[in-house]
Amino acid sequence: MARYVINRFIQMVIVFLLFLVLSYLLFDAIPGNAFQSLLLNPDLPDYAYDRVVELYGLNDPLLTRVQNYVVNFFKGDFGYSYLQFPKTPLDLIAERLPRTLMLFSVVNIVAFYTGFFVGKILAWKRGSKAETWITITSVFSYTIFYPWFALLMLWYFGLKLNWLPIGKFLYPEKWYDAPFDSDVVFVEMIKYTIYFSLLFFLINIFTRNIESLKTRKNIRLYGFFSLLALSYFYWNSSGLYIMKPYAGDIAYHMILPILTVTIVAFAGTALLTRTTMMEVLKEDYILTARAKGISQKRIRDRHAARTALLPVVTSFIFTIVTIIDGAVITENIFSWPGMGQLILDSVLREDIPVAMATFSFIGIVALIAHFVADVSYAFLDPRIRIRNQG
Amino acid sequence: MENNIIKKSKLTTFKQNFNRFKESKIGMVGLVIVIFFGFLAILQPFLFFTGMWDYSTYHPVLGYDAVPYTATVVECPKEYPTENYNTRADCPSLNEISIITLRPFMPEVEIGDKVERFRQPAPPSRSHILGTDSLGRDVFSQIMEGSQVAFFLGLLSATLSVFISTILGSIAAYFGGIVDAYLMRQSDLLLMLPSLPLLFIISAFTELKVWHLALVIGILGGLGGSVITIKSQALQVKVKPFVDLARITGGSRMNILFSHILPNVAPLAILFMVFGVTGAIASESVLSFLGLINLDMSWGLMIALSQADGYISAGFEFWWLVVPAGLSVTLLAGGFYLIGRGLDDIFNPRLRKR
Repeated sequence: MARYVINRFIQMVIVFLLFLVLSYLLFDAIPGNAFQSLLLNPDLPDYAYDRVVELYGLNDPLLTRVQNYVVNFFKGDFGYSYLQFPKTPLDLIAERLPRTLMLFSVVNIVAFYTGFFVGKILAWKRGSKAETWITITSVFSYTIFYPWFALLMLWYFGLKLNWLPIGKFLYPEKWYDAPFDSDVVFVEMIKYTIYFSLLFFLINIFTRNIESLKTRKNIRLYGFFSLLALSYFYWNSSGLYIMKPYAGDIAYHMILPILTVTIVAFAGTALLTRTTMMEVLKEDYILTARAKGISQKRIRDRHAARTALLPVVTSFIFTIVTIIDGAVITENIFSWPGMGQLILDSVLREDIPVAMATFSFIGIVALIAHFVADVSYAFLDPRIRIRNQG
Repeated sequence: MENNIIKKSKLTTFKQNFNRFKESKIGMVGLVIVIFFGFLAILQPFLFFTGMWDYSTYHPVLGYDAVPYTATVVECPKEYPTENYNTRADCPSLNEISIITLRPFMPEVEIGDKVERFRQPAPPSRSHILGTDSLGRDVFSQIMEGSQVAFFLGLLSATLSVFISTILGSIAAYFGGIVDAYLMRQSDLLLMLPSLPLLFIISAFTELKVWHLALVIGILGGLGGSVITIKSQALQVKVKPFVDLARITGGSRMNILFSHILPNVAPLAILFMVFGVTGAIASESVLSFLGLINLDMSWGLMIALSQADGYISAGFEFWWLVVPAGLSVTLLAGGFYLIGRGLDDIFNPRLRKR
């Protein structure tokens, strides 16, 4: 087992090195560079452009630059952003990441619970008319042309009904005399979301062995409401009381993007749950449970859904990687200044240090997720475990 | 003798399979949608060829047709609401024209006169089933052109990616060891690259044509995640007794790989292909929506144009510019996905109804 993990880890490091070199080569192959706008400025002397290019070492041979980048990367030096000079890529990521995390963690939690619930019922009611049509609608909400859908949502809720703000993540006029910047509030909100979802998850875990389905349901419902009451006290506590109106402002701006992404994301989970649950329902122990005369609801929730949860959760871990990828369009349309916008800007304007830093950030997250998934599979799956032992 | 039976039964097995596919309502809905768009894609060249449509009017990119109408000249009030108009956006209404816009060209015009005007974008009429866009081009013809692009790109890239991933996945499963490790790490590497920004970078190298994009999506998809899934399927096939038997009876490695393992992985591969079409159509639409492909006309481009001209923010007043294109992308991508789900429900033994 240890040998497997070490072997896998070495491979991971090699892949990451290749990834760094490959992405540097990709960015380098884009024609032009970040400073060409200097050439268009008539107030600057001719040599300004050459000086800047020389200063940033863009004239060096490719091999030297790649070598410099990789060596400095492992020293923890990511350089400076070309276009927002005094800031380093790490500053920029630290500024943007909380916003994206906040938006998409809420989306994922909501989409996961609703999607799992809908998929469970879809698989259970297989073959009925309602199931067919709900499946077809959820397929279309999964494959919907996303930018178009987001624009229509913006138009409907933002312009026609005038309920929700269109774009941006706060009203600047409300923040003129704020004693802190928005990222502090974002971090507090992320903390709150994590606490809330953890407690909710714990309630679900601890109540799962209660025999009577009715009491279980009631306890979960009471737990949810007491969590809501708790969060009321949480936000009124001394430290957070000042932040409350500002957090409210951000939350108000978050409603529309969350609603839009959730409609698309929940369908994916629902369809996956439907398939895995349908596989589970064909197992022999479901037949046994039926023969024993256990109630239908209990078979669905206790015997089938719990087994079907495992593949859904693993695929959920993998979607964490694609979050930032999917964030590009969402953030572009809702003008939400997060990681997606940062990647898009830095790639299109060739701010290579920032683009490299964001790419390698995504890469590290992806690698760790794959590594954890692989190792846990090797640990959990008896076939692989036995092979490695001997 | 046995050969004859197999030959005879090929057509009947297809029929049997199709009959089984018909059980799945989901799959049938998808099939109807895909056939509908396929029909649209074929119809346009047919209409041009028979001369029912002439190029100057109905060409999706170069065509131009101005729809004439008679407008009443009105003066818009300074303050709203009035008797006729509720908000500023209501004046001038559909068959009216504001005098302020006419004055510079026709100084002699008075309020209440009737003038001949051309309408762009024109609402749906008998000659233009889905109206025209802001440049006087037929929207229905554009939809047909877009479905040609979507079919071409989706099918080409999905076929390519399935071809690559099936062969690589089977090789990884069959040979194992270093080859396996290399191929798996390669697909890890490709999974690490965020796909949309990667396509942005590639679009910066060169002017992306449709078939360039099909190649890029096909290769990236073929080397990426699907190799892992196909490999795990091939691993299950590899341990089956008939593979051992083939090895004992002296089958060469290539023979075993191509005539025993590949055919058994093929059903899963076809499923991947159907889902791959969905993905390819979605990425093409997003890229052309963002204006990164060198295309004359596509569904994503139609949405991009109507957004740039501000018709999406006008809501459903100009519905023929907003709804058909977006709905086409959604429906065709969803149609392929539904076919895939239907095939999966019926032919995957683990999902088949008891």
